[in-house]
Amino acid sequence: MLENRNPISREKFLLEMDEILGLRAGTLRGDEKLEELPNWDSTALISLIVLAESTNNAHISPEEVVGCSTVADLLRLAQVEGSSS
Amino acid sequence: MTSDTKTSPSEMWKAVRLPATAADLLRKRHTLKAELLKQKNLLSTRIAILGGSTTTEVKTMLELFLLAQGIQPTFYESGYNRYGEDVLFENAQLWNFKPDIVFIHTTWHNVSQFPELMEAETTVENRVRSEMARFESLWEKIHTELGALIIQNNFDLPRLRPLGNSEAFESSCRVNFLLRLNTEFASYARKHSRFLVNDILYLSAQVGLEAWHDYTYWYNFHMALSPTATVELARNVAGIVKAVYGRSKKCLVLDLDNTLWGGVIGDDGVQNLILGRDHPVGEAFLDFQRYVKGLQRRGVVLAVCSKNDIENAKEGFSHPDSILRLEDFSVFKANWNPKPENIREIARELNIGLDSLVLVDDNPAERALVADQLPEVSVPDLGSDASRFAEILEHERYFEPDKVVQDDLNRSGYYSSNAQRSTYQAGFHDYGEFLASLEMTAQIGAFSPVYLERITQLINKTNQFNLTTRRYTSAEVEAISQDPSFVTLYGRLADKFGDNGLVSVLIGRVLGETVELDLWLMSCRVLNREMEFAMFDALVEQCQARGIGKIVGVYIPSKKNNMVTGHYASLGFTRISESSPGQESWRYDVPEPYSGRTRFIRRTAGTLPTVANA
Repeated sequence: MLENRNPISREKFLLEMDEILGLRAGTLRGDEKLEELPNWDSTALISLIVLAESTNNAHISPEEVVGCSTVADLLRLAQVEGSSS
Repeated sequence: MTSDTKTSPSEMWKAVRLPATAADLLRKRHTLKAELLKQKNLLSTRIAILGGSTTTEVKTMLELFLLAQGIQPTFYESGYNRYGEDVLFENAQLWNFKPDIVFIHTTWHNVSQFPELMEAETTVENRVRSEMARFESLWEKIHTELGALIIQNNFDLPRLRPLGNSEAFESSCRVNFLLRLNTEFASYARKHSRFLVNDILYLSAQVGLEAWHDYTYWYNFHMALSPTATVELARNVAGIVKAVYGRSKKCLVLDLDNTLWGGVIGDDGVQNLILGRDHPVGEAFLDFQRYVKGLQRRGVVLAVCSKNDIENAKEGFSHPDSILRLEDFSVFKANWNPKPENIREIARELNIGLDSLVLVDDNPAERALVADQLPEVSVPDLGSDASRFAEILEHERYFEPDKVVQDDLNRSGYYSSNAQRSTYQAGFHDYGEFLASLEMTAQIGAFSPVYLERITQLINKTNQFNLTTRRYTSAEVEAISQDPSFVTLYGRLADKFGDNGLVSVLIGRVLGETVELDLWLMSCRVLNREMEFAMFDALVEQCQARGIGKIVGVYIPSKKNNMVTGHYASLGFTRISESSPGQESWRYDVPEPYSGRTRFIRRTAGTLPTVANA
């Protein structure tokens, strides 16, 4: 993975995820199961990959995303500041 | 494009537009779509996307770009890589979908046979023919059985060139083979009116092949294009669709100082303007002028809106290196009035809506003022670097042409001669005298193949003098022109100042002894010339020839056609019903004998059938 020079905050990342999924801002808390989220589809997955790369310089692969089952997993993958390793 | 919501779609779009990165669009797609769908009077269209690879994101992006143009698509999406099977085996869902447009999203991955290394030229040529036959069989089936307009990707180039630079000229190599196929696609497009090429060869060059093809997205999702590339593809296709529906802009309004030349003409004088090849900035302005001249040559109307004394402003065009000349501009506003005021006048003089204008101005304060007071006017963020003006202007595809028709080439001439008519009219006290002095002649006839492209163009972009605002694709217009159950009329109008071209269209559906008018429109170029009387006289003649005793006119109100509210009443129709709010039906019983309404227009021979379109 590329070195993460300017990590995005957890709060900002969750707000971005709200937008990607078409949810009201502040909906996601970070512990949700992905399969239970509305609009979690291939386009959302791609949006997340593009988002992580453009904001965090974090290159994440589709296999890694597919391997995630919760939003918390995504936060770790995207090297979000404050996410547990 | 206006909306009743607090944030207009154009403002919403601007908020994420510059640059409209894949990240922005993907992240905000739900919000953007919801906002854009709040627009009133969206034009509906049915688009079938037939993919040679994954098309989910293509559809997502294309929908957003189309909504931003006021076009609401309904999509059919083929299964993965089933672009051929869906057509050849007449997929019932596709056939029942009845698309207006079929977009074939294929790429170099979908070439079925590349030459073998060092194959003979004749064998390579046979492969080209075979590949073309495969695609032509799809296109012909779509045309004849679905009647849809086709937008077909040409071929991009692969990232890898196993034979290096030789691939450009060795006929058995992939690059050369793909370029030959693109030449064949272009040739097909020139010969077929309902076939357009989406030039992904150009787009991929613009984006760069490494950004165009991303192996991560290809191997994981079979997306032939990266998300970034998909944005540019969707923008381009939306531009094509917008042009097909007549929604391209009509007029480029230009500032002068530091927009068309470096320097301030009022302070520096013409001799000190920075323009020409002796100076890098001057050369950039020269190239921008050349670009603008190119737009004007193919039908974009030019206007000047400058804060300058008019004599100074005009003098700038006497610079020996100036490519643009005064006569290139249909309207010239140089004064100290606020620019929004001048721009309103420009629209009024040209008889076009504000939403048909694009302002190019290097001054951010002026741009902000116009954008604030006239949100319908497109105001790209030009910046101050002249070397980028043309690129920024082009990026939004404001002036995308459908196919350039002869009338486009003459368009700025029409607007210039219209300005002459306005000045001439000011010398008359009696309007009838003025009309008589114009020595107008009209050619009115049934739809003729030579005019079908212009007729289709007019149908899809005329808003004000339009009784029903019904839109038709070119396939539908062609079908109507050949169907004896329709009465069709086109009208051309000329006068002593010039030829206005084809300016009016009428389509009537014959039902027994009645003809119901599906469509009646007229270009704003010829308002108040009584051309509608000439068209009506021709319509009555057709009715008499065909034994039709009753004409039913329909008026469907829209945001822009208020001017024709009283049209049928003025012709002597009687209102017979009102259905959905505002929609009216009017009736006219053709009298015997009939006294023509035309007073000031002499009709010349057009093609009117003596029997019903037989």
